[in-house]
Amino acid sequence: MSELAEPKLELQAVSKSYVRDKRPYPVLDRISLHVREGEFVTLIGPSGSGKSTLFRLIGGVERPDEGTVRIGGRETTGERGHISYMPQQASLFPWMSVAANISSALTTAGVGAAEAARLASQWLERIGLGDVAKEYPHVLSGGMQQRVSFLRALLMPRDVMCLDEPFAALDALTRADMQAWLLDLWEAERRSVLFVTHSIEEALTLSDRLYVLSRGPARVLREIAVPFPRPRRADVWKEPAFVRLKEEVLELLQKGAEAEHAL
Amino acid sequence: MASKTGWRRALLPAGTLVLFVLVWEACCRLLRVDPWILPAPSSIARHMAEDAPRLAGQLWFTLRLALKGVGLGVAFGVAAALLFHLIPGVRAALSPIIIITQNIPLIALGPLLIVWFGFGLLPKLILLVLVCFFPVAWSMLAGLGQAEPHLREYLAMIGASRWEVLRRLELPASLPSFFTGLKLTATYSVTAVIVAEWLGASEGIGHYLVLKSKGYDTEGVFSALICIVALALAFYGAAALLERLAIRWRPRRTAPQGGKSA
Repeated sequence: MSELAEPKLELQAVSKSYVRDKRPYPVLDRISLHVREGEFVTLIGPSGSGKSTLFRLIGGVERPDEGTVRIGGRETTGERGHISYMPQQASLFPWMSVAANISSALTTAGVGAAEAARLASQWLERIGLGDVAKEYPHVLSGGMQQRVSFLRALLMPRDVMCLDEPFAALDALTRADMQAWLLDLWEAERRSVLFVTHSIEEALTLSDRLYVLSRGPARVLREIAVPFPRPRRADVWKEPAFVRLKEEVLELLQKGAEAEHAL
Repeated sequence: MASKTGWRRALLPAGTLVLFVLVWEACCRLLRVDPWILPAPSSIARHMAEDAPRLAGQLWFTLRLALKGVGLGVAFGVAAALLFHLIPGVRAALSPIIIITQNIPLIALGPLLIVWFGFGLLPKLILLVLVCFFPVAWSMLAGLGQAEPHLREYLAMIGASRWEVLRRLELPASLPSFFTGLKLTATYSVTAVIVAEWLGASEGIGHYLVLKSKGYDTEGVFSALICIVALALAFYGAAALLERLAIRWRPRRTAPQGGKSA
């Protein structure tokens, strides 16, 4: 994790606008950010700040108007197949077993079929879902579906994991549970993660660094290093420093929103 | 509870059917209807029993023709749906012609096909394929396009290939629509095969129907009709059974959903 190492993901001055009612509608305004090897980086911003668009650009589903996307030290602007992805909805295929949902995603990333099946069953066992590996996903609760979805992203051998508000649809209790679970699993595996959330607590609990985005068109308002040591406890929110940081981020977000209104 | 409603679901239509047959029988006997106008169910049953070997033979012939036609028609339907789905422009280019083929009455098309291709198997198969392929192709095409957008987005984000999107998402997502089309086809195909045999055949239940109709053997006509209806019901049942076997991932409505908690 040296500063000199090439970042796993790097965005340089990425801009994107859509045309709506024949007028350009800017969504992203010269966004620059990076994720280093084994780093957990969070994007936080008000809703409608173009975070999903940013993910589509990183995933290569769309091309930026300006700027470049570099993944694994190579320019990949507009190229697909360099990231693994966990969307807001679990997005498991209802006609595949839980294990097949994971192993099929692994084969897309170039893992051999036998190895993919072995990894899927081994890891499902490890996260305590071994007994539902052969079931269809609809038998799982929302929280369990999200665990499978996370595992699917974790096991894909890609340079960056992009997690798009993965816990937004869960109830508060399940959400806290999932955060602790993800923290444990991630700290053991240390993948490079770009995480999007609305929740300041979630961002501060999980990440090494966070970028605070403004309301659309999104700019990076500030980059904040989260000082709490690893391995991190899930109850880190009880610390006074946590509360101070939370206030700082909240103020930034509010200011960003006000600046927008003033215009 | 479930078995009770199940019983009711089976008993009610069966009861209606039995009542209908009884009223029919009573009308024929009480009003002394001539058998060549409307034979009583009992005399139809007697006729069927007497002519059973011949009916079975004709039915077997018709069944084989229908299976060939449905098989080919479904194969063409699936191929057309995939072609239209995968290659943009093909659908727009070909749909007028296809819609036209579906609007020509079978009764008009059949004799033409016989003029062009003779009395053999070929014109009958062409007729059947024309009838059978359309419901399958159009339903499946709709199904292929209606795959869940968030699953499509997921596959795009992880960089899945076109083939992976087709195999992992679009084909399974189109199965329910495919079976809707197959059930329609299964029902239509029997009517179409009867028309094909009516137009030119020396075997089959459609041929039998023509003979009996021309000889004013109304009991024979009704015997043929019962065989045809039974065949159509059997085809529909087979399609519904295949659907149940193929689509097993859908949660059953009675089962509690999300049974296990996180």
